[in-house]
Amino acid sequence: MADNTSQELLDMWKRQVEEGTQAWLRMMKQAPAPTAAPNIGMDPQAFWRPFMDQGMAAWSKVMTQGTAPSPDLMAQWKQFLDQWIAAWSRVLEQAMGTDTFAQLMGKQLEGFLNVSAPIKKAAEQQIDASLAGLGIPSRGQVTALARHVAQVEEKIDALEDKVDRVLRRLDAGAVPRTERA
Amino acid sequence: MKDELFTMMGDMPAMSPELLARMREEATRNLLRMKHFGEMVMNPKEPKVGPTPRQEIFRTNKSRLWRYESRRTVRTPLLFVPNLGISRPYIFDLMPKGSFVEHMTQQGFDFYLVDWGVFGEEDNGLTVEDAVTKILPRLARKALESSGASEMSVLGYCMGAPLSASFVATHPEFPLKNYIDMAGPIDFAHVGLFGKWLAPGVFDVDKYVDTLGSIPAEMVKMGFKLLKPTMDVSTNLNLWWNLWNPDYVSGFNALNKWANEYLPFPGEFFRQWVRDFYQQNKLIKGELVMAGRRVDLREIRCPVLAVGAKEDNIAPPACVKPLIDVVSTRDKEYIELPGGHISLIAGRGASVHCWPKVASWLAARS
Repeated sequence: MADNTSQELLDMWKRQVEEGTQAWLRMMKQAPAPTAAPNIGMDPQAFWRPFMDQGMAAWSKVMTQGTAPSPDLMAQWKQFLDQWIAAWSRVLEQAMGTDTFAQLMGKQLEGFLNVSAPIKKAAEQQIDASLAGLGIPSRGQVTALARHVAQVEEKIDALEDKVDRVLRRLDAGAVPRTERA
Repeated sequence: MKDELFTMMGDMPAMSPELLARMREEATRNLLRMKHFGEMVMNPKEPKVGPTPRQEIFRTNKSRLWRYESRRTVRTPLLFVPNLGISRPYIFDLMPKGSFVEHMTQQGFDFYLVDWGVFGEEDNGLTVEDAVTKILPRLARKALESSGASEMSVLGYCMGAPLSASFVATHPEFPLKNYIDMAGPIDFAHVGLFGKWLAPGVFDVDKYVDTLGSIPAEMVKMGFKLLKPTMDVSTNLNLWWNLWNPDYVSGFNALNKWANEYLPFPGEFFRQWVRDFYQQNKLIKGELVMAGRRVDLREIRCPVLAVGAKEDNIAPPACVKPLIDVVSTRDKEYIELPGGHISLIAGRGASVHCWPKVASWLAARS
């Protein structure tokens, strides 16, 4: 009884997937793809057909074997999800690789910068004024101090490099008189 | 209770012994999945990364040079130059038996790692030119002095490849023995989605840097996540699928920690990186000038190996391979390995496909 019920459920699900696939393919065939997505240029059938075919093949195997749901179904389900994600990944990658998407993203970023720049500047001025009132160094002042320390360190490293060069040449006995002085 | 469950399952009709065994295995895995999930949520453990012993050789500003000692059966030491910003370098020494550093030291290479460090607002004036003509030569010289060797091999990974290639091409006095580019973009005309998104006319790098000062880690993270929007879904799906396996879980924890720790870019570095490399592709054209020296990749005359990853969407093979065409050596090789950008340097695939190949190529020439 339980076997018959699960078989019926699986048969029904199989019919639904088949009908859904057919409907999807019919819709794709009728849809004027080039005008619907002129810049993307993707072919949904090409993405979905192999994925659906593989899914259907896996389910057909289960059906023809006539077995009840087994742990293998878990693996098939995982494979199904992997293929589904991979298909979506390819679709998204194609869409994001278009000039239209790049332009759109560039405009979004520019809009963000246009909005955030004055806000950031105003907030910084406000905080600096507050900190100055309290006699506490501002973030900019601390950063400037750290920058000076880094610059001093860089100068020391550069001097060390020069000393190393001179010492190497001294060791090689090739240092000119002017550098010795 | 577990036994009762299996006893009940055993009473079910039409169950072959094989099927029963598989169901038993799956039930056990589900129990383990639940156990490990509970541990991850209720009692998350901080993964231990960077297990290989090392010593600091030199430090300048935020950058450090690390030495990983070996038995030194290979005469020429190796200087490893990774990306600046973006991510932390412990990915190269992620965990025991899953570490590029460990593999190379076990093969007898003295391994020197350039750790660029985490730059702050005070370093926003740092440029690519500073990294290539000031920091890198200093670290390379310190590595050479520390090793006592007369020559050194250099390996650039990801952004570290164009940086180190620019360094070795402009410093002929550096005794370079071999050069390796691992997943490092050289011809930015073929650099994939980032190339499109950062193209001139699309991305106003000047406005970006002038407004923000530096490129925050969150922005860097957003850019990389956008490159593969389904990555988080597939990562979590794979985690669920393998959650029963404690080795997988510990590897996941370490890699996940790294994958979510992004680093900011110094502003001027980002400006020059985007403008000169992505937008104007100056490196391969031979138009890049650093500290008054033209970066001419033809000046690389030692043996060269370039390694591309088939599914790399950060540095696709088409932007790695051109290095082979421009260097002035007959001993040059390009190999393309399965996997993506990270799977060249971390993970089981790397330890099987990539690391042994790199080590054997180097050992034969060191």
